[in-house]
Amino acid sequence: MAVFGRGRTAAAQTGANAPVEGAPPLRANRVTKSYLKGSVIALDDVSFDVHANQVTAMIGPSGCGKTTMLRLMAGLEYPSRGDVTMFGQPIMGPGPERGMVFQAYTSFPWLTTRSNIEYGLKLQGLAKAERRERAEHFLDLVHLEGFANAYPAELSGGMKQRVSIARTLAQNPALLLLDEPFGALDAQVTWEMEEMIIEIIERENKTVVVVTHDIQEAIYLADRIIFYTRQPGRIKADLPMEFKEGRRFHKKEEMLVHPGYVDMERRLYAMMREEIRGRVS
Amino acid sequence: MAQGQAGGTPPSDAASHPGDEAPAPVFKPPRQPFLEVLGALTQRRTVVLGVAGVIIFFAVWEVAHYVTPEEKQRFLPAVEQVVAEIAYLFAEKNFIADVGTSLYRIYASFFVASLIAVPLGVFMGCFVKARALISPTTGGWRYLPAASFAPLLLVWFGPTDFAKMALLFLGCFFFLVALILDNTLAVQRELIESGLTMGAKRRQVVGITFRAAAPAILDSMRNMIAVAWTYLVIAEIIVATDGIGAVMMRAARFLHVDIMMGGILTIGVLGVLTDISFRIASRVLFPYLRVRR
Repeated sequence: MAVFGRGRTAAAQTGANAPVEGAPPLRANRVTKSYLKGSVIALDDVSFDVHANQVTAMIGPSGCGKTTMLRLMAGLEYPSRGDVTMFGQPIMGPGPERGMVFQAYTSFPWLTTRSNIEYGLKLQGLAKAERRERAEHFLDLVHLEGFANAYPAELSGGMKQRVSIARTLAQNPALLLLDEPFGALDAQVTWEMEEMIIEIIERENKTVVVVTHDIQEAIYLADRIIFYTRQPGRIKADLPMEFKEGRRFHKKEEMLVHPGYVDMERRLYAMMREEIRGRVS
Repeated sequence: MAQGQAGGTPPSDAASHPGDEAPAPVFKPPRQPFLEVLGALTQRRTVVLGVAGVIIFFAVWEVAHYVTPEEKQRFLPAVEQVVAEIAYLFAEKNFIADVGTSLYRIYASFFVASLIAVPLGVFMGCFVKARALISPTTGGWRYLPAASFAPLLLVWFGPTDFAKMALLFLGCFFFLVALILDNTLAVQRELIESGLTMGAKRRQVVGITFRAAAPAILDSMRNMIAVAWTYLVIAEIIVATDGIGAVMMRAARFLHVDIMMGGILTIGVLGVLTDISFRIASRVLFPYLRVRR
């Protein structure tokens, strides 16, 4: 709830300060996040850079602090120590330059698909005609042309999530933060959505950070995977997806038969097993 | 791939549909007992059962009247006597003016209570510090029985409309605030957070919270206005100048049981009509709740 009080001034701060030349889109700088007066350490002295136009996936066992890191990036929470910077400026609150898609359905139930997409544009002060045009473009992008006037209650889970994605992208954020965006969807819809996300990322050329618990999804979406340990959350491994050789697979089955994928999946499963075994439960 | 091959030669026992054979017989599920767990009901039968319940109620009343010894029957008049009495009151005693006065009191005071309670509840729900400051006080007021303020209000304001409406206000305001606070707190956190990440400022966040909680808030109001009727009658009985409660109080002096019961029945009907109006308002204001895919 702290964001309520600080949000206003904070958004203004991040917006007003000029980006530092050569600074990465996001940098975690010795970030520690503890809860309950330090008795729970979600993140412990974590540092890394997010590279421009890359998809960075953060994975790890449940409770490893991957979602906490994403929330720090979004500005929905603040670190206990260290800082998270965007183009060199410390993040002091949420803002539209860091668009976020949540696992829960967050499209506003009282607005139609089109109005949901236009909502953020309205906040940015865009004129009505331009809002319409942008909404139209992003409706097409997520294949919801025929559902412009539908309310969220009329849409399936996958469609609702596409509304959230379209609404976030319409604001043209410098960074796209995805918090287990397909976690609530069934398997078939999930891979459809994964392929759609790849298509969109290629087309819109975005810097993306995605949190997931699904190893296959992480490998499919990511150019680089950051694997977290569990409590205290530290970086266990930082793995570039070298087997992709700089390209992305448009169909998931193309990746599944790639020997590089099989190796990577095996490695990640081994790491996950290591982490789970270490858990006292 | 494997599916494509299987599709060519379907297993004969699973997917063969010879055209000349009659369709399989209609399946007869076990008979549904009246107290079926997780049972389903058509809209029509729901209405039928609801009406049946009302008829049973009046039938029990009617029977109770006729089994009462003749000399005591005037203490429990029959349904038709009460209905006739209501008709008489409207036709001859200008009962409509009393009903109007009561309705005015209840709606006006409830409107004022809502006008303050809704923004206050939403405000507390949005801002944790405001909640910490205000909620213990408004919450505590719920434990001060509104009826116990009646003598005090009478001393302060005399036998006025204002005193009666103040009692109504006290009776529902603090409960309304608490309910609306709960409705606001129940708003899904991610809805607000996603607003924030889209650049919503404090004012817009309050807007999102209000819009998200609005259907539940209207429901709380619908439930609260039923309670408001209680305080209306208390107010009108204590200071019996006019209104439905006053008519009943005057009738009590002459043991006109039929008038008293007529008053109660009238209030019941008005209450049900109010409830229905709120439900219709909900349909009109929140059409998105009723769409289904």
